[in-house]
Amino acid sequence: MQFEENIKVAIRGLIEHKFRSFLTMLGIIFGVASVIAMLSIGEGAKREAIAKYQDLGVNNIIIRDKDLSDSELEEMRARFSQGLSLTDAEVIKDLVPGVERIASQSELSREIQFADKTARSTIIGITSEYADILNYETDKGVFISADHYDRELKVCVLGAGIVQTLFQGRDPIGQMVKIEDQWLEVIGTLQSKTLFTETVGELASRDLNNDIFIPLTTFHQRFEPGNRLASELKQITVQVQNSNRLLESSELIRNILDRHHYNNQDYSIVIPYELLKQEEKERRIYNFLLGAIAAISLIVGGIGIMNIMLATVMERTREIGIRRAIGARKADIMSQFVTEAVAISITGGIIGVIMGVSLSLIISLFTDVTTFIRLYSIFIAFGFSVVVGISFGYLPAKSAANLKPIESIRYE
Amino acid sequence: MLIEIRNLDKNYIMGEIEVPALIDVNVSIKQNEYVAIMGPSGSGKSTLMNILGCLDTPSGGNYFFNDVDVSSLNDDQLSAMRNREIGFIFQSFNLLPRMSSLHNVELPLMYAGILKNERRERAINALERVGLADRMGHKPTELSGGQRQRVAIARALVTNPGILLADEPTGALDSKTGDEIMNLFDELHREGNTIILITHEQEIADYAHRTIFLKDGKIFTDEPNKRFKK
Ligand SMILES: Nc1ncnc2c1ncn2[C@@H]1O[C@H](COP(=O)(O)OP(=O)(O)O)[C@@H](O)[C@H]1O
Ligand SMILES: [Mg+2]
Repeated sequence: MQFEENIKVAIRGLIEHKFRSFLTMLGIIFGVASVIAMLSIGEGAKREAIAKYQDLGVNNIIIRDKDLSDSELEEMRARFSQGLSLTDAEVIKDLVPGVERIASQSELSREIQFADKTARSTIIGITSEYADILNYETDKGVFISADHYDRELKVCVLGAGIVQTLFQGRDPIGQMVKIEDQWLEVIGTLQSKTLFTETVGELASRDLNNDIFIPLTTFHQRFEPGNRLASELKQITVQVQNSNRLLESSELIRNILDRHHYNNQDYSIVIPYELLKQEEKERRIYNFLLGAIAAISLIVGGIGIMNIMLATVMERTREIGIRRAIGARKADIMSQFVTEAVAISITGGIIGVIMGVSLSLIISLFTDVTTFIRLYSIFIAFGFSVVVGISFGYLPAKSAANLKPIESIRYE
Repeated sequence: MLIEIRNLDKNYIMGEIEVPALIDVNVSIKQNEYVAIMGPSGSGKSTLMNILGCLDTPSGGNYFFNDVDVSSLNDDQLSAMRNREIGFIFQSFNLLPRMSSLHNVELPLMYAGILKNERRERAINALERVGLADRMGHKPTELSGGQRQRVAIARALVTNPGILLADEPTGALDSKTGDEIMNLFDELHREGNTIILITHEQEIADYAHRTIFLKDGKIFTDEPNKRFKK
C-alpha cells in the first residue's frame, strides 16, 4: 500500500472517531499551551529585571548620599564629614583605575510652573557626562551639554510626565518655565520611561518621568538646598570599563570615601549588575516552580493520551485484527497508527501553540505580570508533545500489530 | 490439490498445560469443492479453519496451499496470502463499524495496492453480486444481520480469492436469513468458487458436497454428502 493511501486511512480513522481524537488532542493542547505560557512568564520576569537594571547601567557603580535626619546630619558634620562632594568624584576619577566616565548629580524636590499650571518634580543638577553614562536620549531638542555646564546656563530638560502636565501637546522647546524665582529655558524633552515603583537596592523609587535636568553648576548657583548642612552631591555614578572589575573598583571606592569621610557611613554603594545577579538567583526558585507546573501539565497531558489509547485498545485491537485478516501487513498497521498519532499531535500541538500564545498575551494584558515568548519555548513544547503523542500512539499499536491476527480479532 | 494438510497438530498453552486442539489431521481439498466441517462444540473446527485461513499457525505438521508450504512464509507473505488467496467470513461479520459497506468491501483491495477507481468499481460489483447495490453507503450498524453478512461475503469475494472460508456464517442469523445466505454460497460454488464452511447444523451442512466430521481434535469421518440438496 502506498504512503499516500496510509495517510488517507489514518485521517479517515480520525474523522470516524471525532470525539476520541478530540479527547486525545486535549491532553496535547493543554500541555503545549501551559508550557508556552509558563515559560513566557519566566522569560518576562527575566527581561523585566534586565531592563530595570539596564536603565541603571550594567557597568556602573552608584554612590548615593544617605538620607539622614537633621540631627544625624549635624552629628556627621561634627565628625568632619562633608557628605558626598565634587571632590569625592575627582578623587575617585584620579585614584580608581579603569574608570571610563563619572557623573555627579544633586537633587531637590520643587514645584515647576508654566503659565497657570504647576507640577511636582525632582530637579536634578548634573555634570555633562551624565547622559552618556545613563543612556539618556531626548525625545525633542538636546540634552544638557558640557557647554551648558561650563557657562552655567539657565536651561532645562523635562521628563515626559512634566511635559504632559504642563504643555498638554504644545511644543515645550524654547518655552520658559519657572522654579521658585528662577526662569529656565526648555531645551529638550525626554522619552517616557517605564516607571518602576520598586526600590532598587537603596535607590529611592520615584516617578522618573517627573525629573527635570539642569546643569549642576546652575543648580548650585541658583537654588538653595533645603538644609544648610546638606551635602554638595546626592549621587556619583561611576562607569567602569570592565564589568568584571565592578566589585574590585567598588572596594577601592569604599576605601577612598571612608578615608575622606573620616569613616562616617553617610553614603551607600549600589552595583546594579550585582543586584541583577542577586535577583536572578532569587528568581531561580520561581522559575523552578514554573518549570515544574509546565512539566506536570505535560505529564498529565501524556497520561490523558495514554488513557484514551488504553480505553480504546479493545476496539482498536479488533480493528487491527480485522485489517490483518483481510491482508494488512504489520507495516500497514504501524504506519496507520503512527500517522494518526502524528496528525493528532500536530493538530493538537498547533492548537496548543495558538492557545499558549493567546494565554500569555492575555496574562500580560490583564495582569501586571510581564510575559515574553521565546521561539525556542514553542519548539520545546511542540516537539515534546509530538514525541509524547507519537510514543503513546505507537506503543499500543505496536503490541497489537504483533499479535496473531486471530488473537486480535478475538481480543476482549 | 488446492489444499493439502499433513499430520497437522495444534496445541494451545493454558498456563503450564498444553491443551491439544487438533491431533494428526490430514485433509486434501480440490479446486471447486464445497466442504462442510461439522462436529461438537470444542472439537477444533474453528482452530482448523483459522489455520487454513492463515490467521493462526499450526504447532506441527504441514499445510500446503497450491503446493506452497505455508509454514515457510514470513509475516508479510502470510498477509499477502490472506489478502489474495483467502476470503474469510466470520460468524460475527467483523466489519469495521464506522465505515460504509462500500468502504469495508474496498479495504482488501486497498491493501492489495489497487488504485482508487478500479477499487471502487470492483467493490461495487461485489456488492451488486451479493444483492446489496442499494446499501453501499450504509454503515454496518444501519444494516440487518443478513445484510451485514452479505457485506462480509462481498468483502471476501472482492479479491477473487482461491478459497472462501466461512466459520458458522449463519450462526448469528435466523433460519430464513440463513437459508438466503446459504443459497448465495450455492451460487458462488456454481460459479467456480471453492468453499469450506463450518456449521453444527445438519440443515446447513446439507448444502455442501462433502462433510468432514471432527471429534476431540481428530477427523472422525470424511465422506461425500449423500443427502446434499438438489
Ligand atoms: N485461544 C485459545 N486458547 C486456549 N484454548 C483454546 C483457544 N481457542 C480454542 N481453544 C480450545 O481448543 C479447543 C477447540 O476449540 P475451537 O476450535 O474453537 O472449537 P470449535 O470451533 O469446534 O467449537 C477447545 O477445547 C477450546 O477450548
Ligand atoms: Mg467455533
